Amino acid sequence: MQTKHYQKLYMVPYFLWIIVFVVAPLLLVLYYSFFDVEGHFTFTNYQKFFTPVYLKMTFSSFWYAFLITLIALIIAYPVAYLLTKTKHKQLWLLLIIVPSWVNLLLKAYAFIGIFGQYGLANGLLGLVGIAPKQILFTDFSFVFVAVYIFIPFMILPIFNALNELNDTYIDAAKDLGASKWTTFRRVIFPLTIGGVKSGCQIVFIPALSLFMLTRLIAGSRVITLGTAIEQHFLVTQDWGMGSTIAVFLIIAMFIIMAFTADRKRGA
Amino acid sequence: MNNNTIIQFKDVTKQFADDQPVLDHVNFEIERGKFYTLLGPSGCGKTTILRLIAGFTQPTSGEVLFDNHIYNHVPANKRQVNTVFQDYALFPHLNVFENVAFGLRIQKFKEKDIEKKVKQALSFVNLAGYEEREVSEMSGGQRQRVAIARAIVNEPQVILLDEPLSALDLKLRTQMQYELRDLQRRLGITFIFVTHDQEEALAMSDEIFVINKGKIQQSGTPIDIYDEPVNRFVADFIGESNIVKGTMIRDFLVSFTGKEFECVDQGIAENKKVEVVIRPEDLHIVPWEQGKLQVKVHSTLFRGVHYEIICHDSAGNEWLVHSTKKAKAGDTIGLYFDPEAIHVMVVGETEEEFDRRLESYAVDDTSAN
Ligand SMILES: Nc1ncnc2c1ncn2[C@@H]1O[C@H](COP(=O)(O)OP(=O)(O)O)[C@@H](O)[C@H]1O
Ligand SMILES: [Mg+2]
Repeated sequence: MQTKHYQKLYMVPYFLWIIVFVVAPLLLVLYYSFFDVEGHFTFTNYQKFFTPVYLKMTFSSFWYAFLITLIALIIAYPVAYLLTKTKHKQLWLLLIIVPSWVNLLLKAYAFIGIFGQYGLANGLLGLVGIAPKQILFTDFSFVFVAVYIFIPFMILPIFNALNELNDTYIDAAKDLGASKWTTFRRVIFPLTIGGVKSGCQIVFIPALSLFMLTRLIAGSRVITLGTAIEQHFLVTQDWGMGSTIAVFLIIAMFIIMAFTADRKRGA
Repeated sequence: MNNNTIIQFKDVTKQFADDQPVLDHVNFEIERGKFYTLLGPSGCGKTTILRLIAGFTQPTSGEVLFDNHIYNHVPANKRQVNTVFQDYALFPHLNVFENVAFGLRIQKFKEKDIEKKVKQALSFVNLAGYEEREVSEMSGGQRQRVAIARAIVNEPQVILLDEPLSALDLKLRTQMQYELRDLQRRLGITFIFVTHDQEEALAMSDEIFVINKGKIQQSGTPIDIYDEPVNRFVADFIGESNIVKGTMIRDFLVSFTGKEFECVDQGIAENKKVEVVIRPEDLHIVPWEQGKLQVKVHSTLFRGVHYEIICHDSAGNEWLVHSTKKAKAGDTIGLYFDPEAIHVMVVGETEEEFDRRLESYAVDDTSAN
């Protein structure tokens, strides 16, 4: 009894934290979504969300987030696999993680330099005799930079999953006649799917609400829900509409989390 | 080599980096349909031998032959061998049925055949009806049977078992020893079984390879190895022994503890320094004056079936006696043994030299075969 009481006591700061920094902001967002610019209670924000402008924006957000996640996964899995085979794997991993500590804006500006009219990329193209191209402000540059930024977060969980994979499972598969590819498909990948799921989750959700990058790298050619929220709060001051979009984003995130959650197998 | 030989190691050496070789010029032959045991202390290279047979690793030098073909570089998935791993290595994302079916699916059997074969294999190991269970829901003994079913369902020529019983408790282990031996007889395929437990090896095998420090010390039937250990390591490792220094006077006469004793060993040079082995159960307690050896009881321990009695003779040698007769610490007793109980080992004699010596007098000795 006594110890149980104490345990509850220890939980208090945790619950306070959750309430002040997680639950309260969510409720505030929900609250604001029911007011228009003049501060009148209304459902029009929700009606507006279901107009083609916002639906298209939603679709394009999901599309780009999907693309970014998929490309990041396709690159990250083999990289993580090779990393587990290297001698100083923790060191290599660190080298891949370090760039993620650099501020996102700094990286964005660095890419503006690289992809610009007189940047490194066009310089290299020039060397092989290709005329300067418009690289910045294209879909390509947006996806490229977004993948670059998110890829460490994809590599890390996959690396951990592969690293924890017991080698005897691979021996066992070979022993039972499996080729390298079959071993990968039937044993290695299914046993590391947890890492893949966490990686996708960690990349897809922030990719869905990217904003800064869309303006800096994609030159507002790509308008996502994240950009729209930013615009409503900072430019048009329509907090209600911004909150409404945020509500939908939050719902989407919960759905994705539920979808990618690890199904527990019997202990 | 005869045409019953399925696996052969020719001068196989395995070395990791610049360390001491893990296996040092290992030679042996494995015949079809027999139960072999690799016996040796932890780290002696048993698992490495299995990994070389399975194809998970290649020898540094020497040849691994299957059916007289060099298999050094044949990959594991192309070998007619299946392994029961020490930790079973059952796939955690597949249920019992799919674990057993894994190899069959790779061989692209029809669904109907897969079902039939899996069911058959599971009932072979007394696990009928467990098809849909998750691996995590199975006990240690059941997992071990699933691992065996997963191996036998592919009908390999050879099954390798790496200390499969070491994780089980004593009672289950004894039961599984019987079951494994029985299974091997029913299937009629070659089992290569690894253990560091000498009792297990003696109980189960047709033939035992005793290994130490990457070298095969002795190979033979359990009785050969128990009764005629080639050196001190084997004598010590296979059961408890009394080993004392002695001198071979001439054929059939050996001296130790300052006395001469009749024995059955021959073919050893006269006055050669030897080691004499007498098993504790071959020593019988008799009154002081009737004993071939006179000793003083140091301590006794009741072991259920027998007493374990430690004695010292006047030369300072320790003698371990297993006897159903009781003795008190401090008693002076006599020890009696038959000439056959004495086994003489020539220090530094290799297995080949030992075998040659045995063969040289087998001609006139009808008791040997
Ligand atoms: N991959 C490896 N790299 C380096 N040393 C190894 C490797 N595998 C085994 N060894 C060494 O080889 C020796 C024999 O190992 P092993 O065959 O597993 O012994 P056992 O199965 O008899 O206990 C041990 O000393 C072990 O440390
Ligand atoms: Mg081992």
